[in-house]
Amino acid sequence: MKIAVFWGCRILTSQYAYEMSTRQVFPKFNVELVDLSETNCCGDPVKSVNDLAANYLAARVLALANKTGLENLLVPCNRCHFVISEAKGLLEKNVKFREKIIGLLNEEGLKYNSKIKIWHVIDFLHDFVGLVKVKKAVLKSLKDLKLATHVGCQIIRYSDLGRVDDAENPQKLDELVSVLGANVVDYAEKLDCCGANLMHSHPDSALSLTGTKLNILQVYGVDGLVVSCPDCGLMFDFKQKDAATTIGAKLNIPVVYYTQLLGLALGIEKEKLGLQLNQSPVDQFLTKIPL
Amino acid sequence: MPKIGVYVCHCGLNIAGVVEIDKVVKYAKSLPDVALVRDYTYMCSALGQRMIQEDIKTHNLDRIVIATCSPRMHEETFRKAVAEAGLNPYLLEIVNLREQVSWTHTDEPEKATEKAKDLVKMGVARAKLLEPLERSRVQVEKSVLVVGGGIAGIQASLDLADAGFPVYLVEKAPSIGGRMAQLDKTFPTLDCSACILTPKMVDVAKHSNIRLLANSEVTRVKGFVGNYEVTIVKMPRYVDEEKCVGCELCTKVCPVKVPDKFNEGLSQTRAIAIYSPYAVPKVATINPKYCLRLKYDKDVCGKCLEACEAKAINFQQQPDTVQLKVGGIILAIGSGVFDASKIGELGYRRYKDVISNIEFERIVNASGPTGGKILCPGNGESPKTIVFVQCVGSRDKRFHEYCCRVGCMATLKQAVLAREHLGKDVNIYICFNDMRAFGKGYDEFYRRARDLDINFVAGLPSDIREDASGSIHFDVYDKGTNKLLELRPDLVVLANGLIPNDDLGKIGELFHVSRSADGFLLEAHPKLRPLESAVAGIFLAGTCQGPKDIPDTVAQASGAAAKVIDLLSHGEIELEPLKAVVDEDLCSGCRICESICPFLAVGMKTKNVNGEEKFRAEVIEAMCQGCGLCASACPTNAIKMKHYTDEQVLAQVQAACVEETTKKGGS
Amino acid sequence: MSLTDLMSMAKPNLESREKILAKLTSKGLVNCFQCIKCTSGCTALKLLELKPHEIVKLVNLGFIDELASSDIIWTCVTCLKCFQGCPQKASPYHVIMALRNLAVEREAKVPEGYLKAVSRILEVGLAEPPAEVVTRKMEIFNRESLKLPKIASPKESFQTAFMKILEEH
Repeated sequence: MKIAVFWGCRILTSQYAYEMSTRQVFPKFNVELVDLSETNCCGDPVKSVNDLAANYLAARVLALANKTGLENLLVPCNRCHFVISEAKGLLEKNVKFREKIIGLLNEEGLKYNSKIKIWHVIDFLHDFVGLVKVKKAVLKSLKDLKLATHVGCQIIRYSDLGRVDDAENPQKLDELVSVLGANVVDYAEKLDCCGANLMHSHPDSALSLTGTKLNILQVYGVDGLVVSCPDCGLMFDFKQKDAATTIGAKLNIPVVYYTQLLGLALGIEKEKLGLQLNQSPVDQFLTKIPL
Repeated sequence: MPKIGVYVCHCGLNIAGVVEIDKVVKYAKSLPDVALVRDYTYMCSALGQRMIQEDIKTHNLDRIVIATCSPRMHEETFRKAVAEAGLNPYLLEIVNLREQVSWTHTDEPEKATEKAKDLVKMGVARAKLLEPLERSRVQVEKSVLVVGGGIAGIQASLDLADAGFPVYLVEKAPSIGGRMAQLDKTFPTLDCSACILTPKMVDVAKHSNIRLLANSEVTRVKGFVGNYEVTIVKMPRYVDEEKCVGCELCTKVCPVKVPDKFNEGLSQTRAIAIYSPYAVPKVATINPKYCLRLKYDKDVCGKCLEACEAKAINFQQQPDTVQLKVGGIILAIGSGVFDASKIGELGYRRYKDVISNIEFERIVNASGPTGGKILCPGNGESPKTIVFVQCVGSRDKRFHEYCCRVGCMATLKQAVLAREHLGKDVNIYICFNDMRAFGKGYDEFYRRARDLDINFVAGLPSDIREDASGSIHFDVYDKGTNKLLELRPDLVVLANGLIPNDDLGKIGELFHVSRSADGFLLEAHPKLRPLESAVAGIFLAGTCQGPKDIPDTVAQASGAAAKVIDLLSHGEIELEPLKAVVDEDLCSGCRICESICPFLAVGMKTKNVNGEEKFRAEVIEAMCQGCGLCASACPTNAIKMKHYTDEQVLAQVQAACVEETTKKGGS
Repeated sequence: MSLTDLMSMAKPNLESREKILAKLTSKGLVNCFQCIKCTSGCTALKLLELKPHEIVKLVNLGFIDELASSDIIWTCVTCLKCFQGCPQKASPYHVIMALRNLAVEREAKVPEGYLKAVSRILEVGLAEPPAEVVTRKMEIFNRESLKLPKIASPKESFQTAFMKILEEH
């Protein structure tokens, strides 16, 4: 089957590993990713500036998805997923807003389609493809790995909007990891925020949040942390050293995207999954995966 | 020719302050068939009523129209006055000049006066066509069914039994006592709950007028007010109630462990056991879901059979069906407790030392799982810090919007008990939103808690966590000090709110009682009729109608009992004649009326018509509420609403719409 | 005006309050009964002293002007815990976003990063510039060297439309 995909800004401009690994694993489940003809920011940073404009950007993404003629849109970034979901909800409920936005889109020859279903990598693999198929496709069991998951904030909250997983006890990412054979650790701080959004205004506090969580995971003795959002990836992986400096501790935790982990279990070469790009010490983690 | 008397009330200035009474009086005089018109300041007063009565006698008036306040206020009063003067009370028409004119059109007195005139004209037109009606009488069964054997059901049963009414008390559990039997001490007096409850339970068992049906459920209800036919099924205990002496030898030998429901699952009992330490009746019951012999339907185990010296055990026992006829029913089925695992972030059922208020109640009770010692379920040790968290599941749009009413007082009581049990060196904190201590002696009790050095944190926590070492901690912001505090308690007690009973769906179907928006049973009027359901003859008592404490429950139970006595004491009841009536000659037997009636008041009977058996609709007067649905749905116009016939209503419409072309004299 | 904050002598700005209320999809703001659950669980409280309950109360009473020009409204990390846990469905998150929009409108203290993002979106469609990544082995990669497809920038008509809606209020 075919699914349209919207990458957002972060993945396209720095978190290449997430894009690479996603492009690698989806075809293994007979899913073809169809890129949009053009791309614009979903509107996340604009929400703080002008919410109407932000919602317009999100609606434009949905209109671009409509151009592909496909009914499903994959949004691998948590923040984009939230912004687009909120905009979709608003378009459905607020008639005045919908008319304004549709008017603007019309001027560009774009049409909004309310039937497009928004997916994240997690619920697409867990609910649409299904754990059974994922398990079947595993070639290398990750049984020697003890992993923790960080599902993030904006795909589990707020429940009224209909999110990817339960807000109090999200299990889908954990199940997707354990179906690869790995041992998943539950921990009290699982739902703590990575702090990414504070980088705009309070970078020290942002890094402090990141570092504190990584430090706790270190105490739990996990082999690695699995994320599913490029902002969380940016903080935990790219900025791990900065976070360590900020909290004055030594941090040494491998951080990978779920699609990278999945790719490894499916037997895909690590270069194709972008594992050379991870800034955290993934090599020590890779040694625990059978060749 | 009808002789109509029209009376226009000033209602002080309520009507007269807006409507020009003289103009209405003058207009009324000009209407055909109006024999006399009077006005007075307070028509409902003794003088006003006498005025009407004397006129009826002196002038032989045969129809009365009173233009006054809403009929909901004084129609009944005026009907009685008219009846006393010898005129049929249903030859009276009330025209509403207050709620429908002066109160709604206060700013437009001229238009209001015109409207008043029109309404009087409509009233007169209808009055002409009114017919005399008689109230019918129906015999009632002078016995009562009480569903639910908690304190509400117990209190109501005793009141009714003492008044001489036979009572059937049905309780689903193997013993009566309900929630109150589980409590330790009760606020605000710290009376021992079991000590004040058990004497009443024994009274119920001993009372010659009460037949106690425990381990039983109502399965069918038919009939109408004063004449209910109820089917009750006594579920088998597999133990003969007459023979069992309550020695518990069977429990001692039973190999199957079962979570103890009375102790909220904190301890285990056996597949054969007596329900609680205070059980009435004190008879063992076998749980067929766990008992090896009953579950697998095989001749296994049987240890209890061997051990029982009274030979009371009978694995072949069958359900027993009881058919009853009762005149009134009181629903006192109680409520449930919120399951806090729905609020995942509070850690209930995830962390052993986060418990519910009802679990704490069993722990602190001497008859409970720890013999009354306050011990943490996790490590079995005495807590050094206890935190209570309020409003769990209550005042919460995500779960239950209402305030559970008893949460604050229950927690205060538990905190005071904790202080008494554990001494002054234990830290006790209550995290609250508001502290509601509204009742008699309640705020004084709140003060008592503060006197005992119980600390109050003005704020609710967001997430309760357990760290790797098993130690519970959470952050909470305190409004009073404006500080973010971290608490590390050994025990957390969540004030889970009272919620509508799980069985309410079943109860609703059986008794046709509806529920209010909060899910509890709906009363007939929230202020003026809190003890009655909308169904005639069915009354509500206790927490099934809404969360409440023991004093309010007992008051409501006694009140419901009084209402039942009120209903049944004369041996018969009078029915208002404002009912539907079927003209059998026009009825085609299509059954649309039967299916549309929301009160199940229309049945079909067979009638022999020209040698053929045909269906004809029949209205059960006692159940008919006069809503008119059947009359409007009937395709052959066979159903007439007494006192609201088509002719009467259409006459009003005509009067309102048709302009008079001739007028008597000048205006 | 019947209400005054004696510390600052500020008076409520009811017009701004109405504007903010109109933006919020749920009327939860007025239902807040200060249970403090949001603040107890706020990610930004410990480090940056953000108190969502206080912000909701201030807006409810109309004390908006000081908030709109404050730093505190820029400390929210948008974790959404406050809206998720609120028993009255008030959303401090949405109130804070509305205050931020107001701050931008009034050209108060807005962190540069946000305004930069907006101008970049206007120019090229994306909020971030393409970056080079240095691997653990000190190799440098970009999209092209990783053989990833080119980013399809939006057509010119996008600029016009986006500009148009940014200028609306």
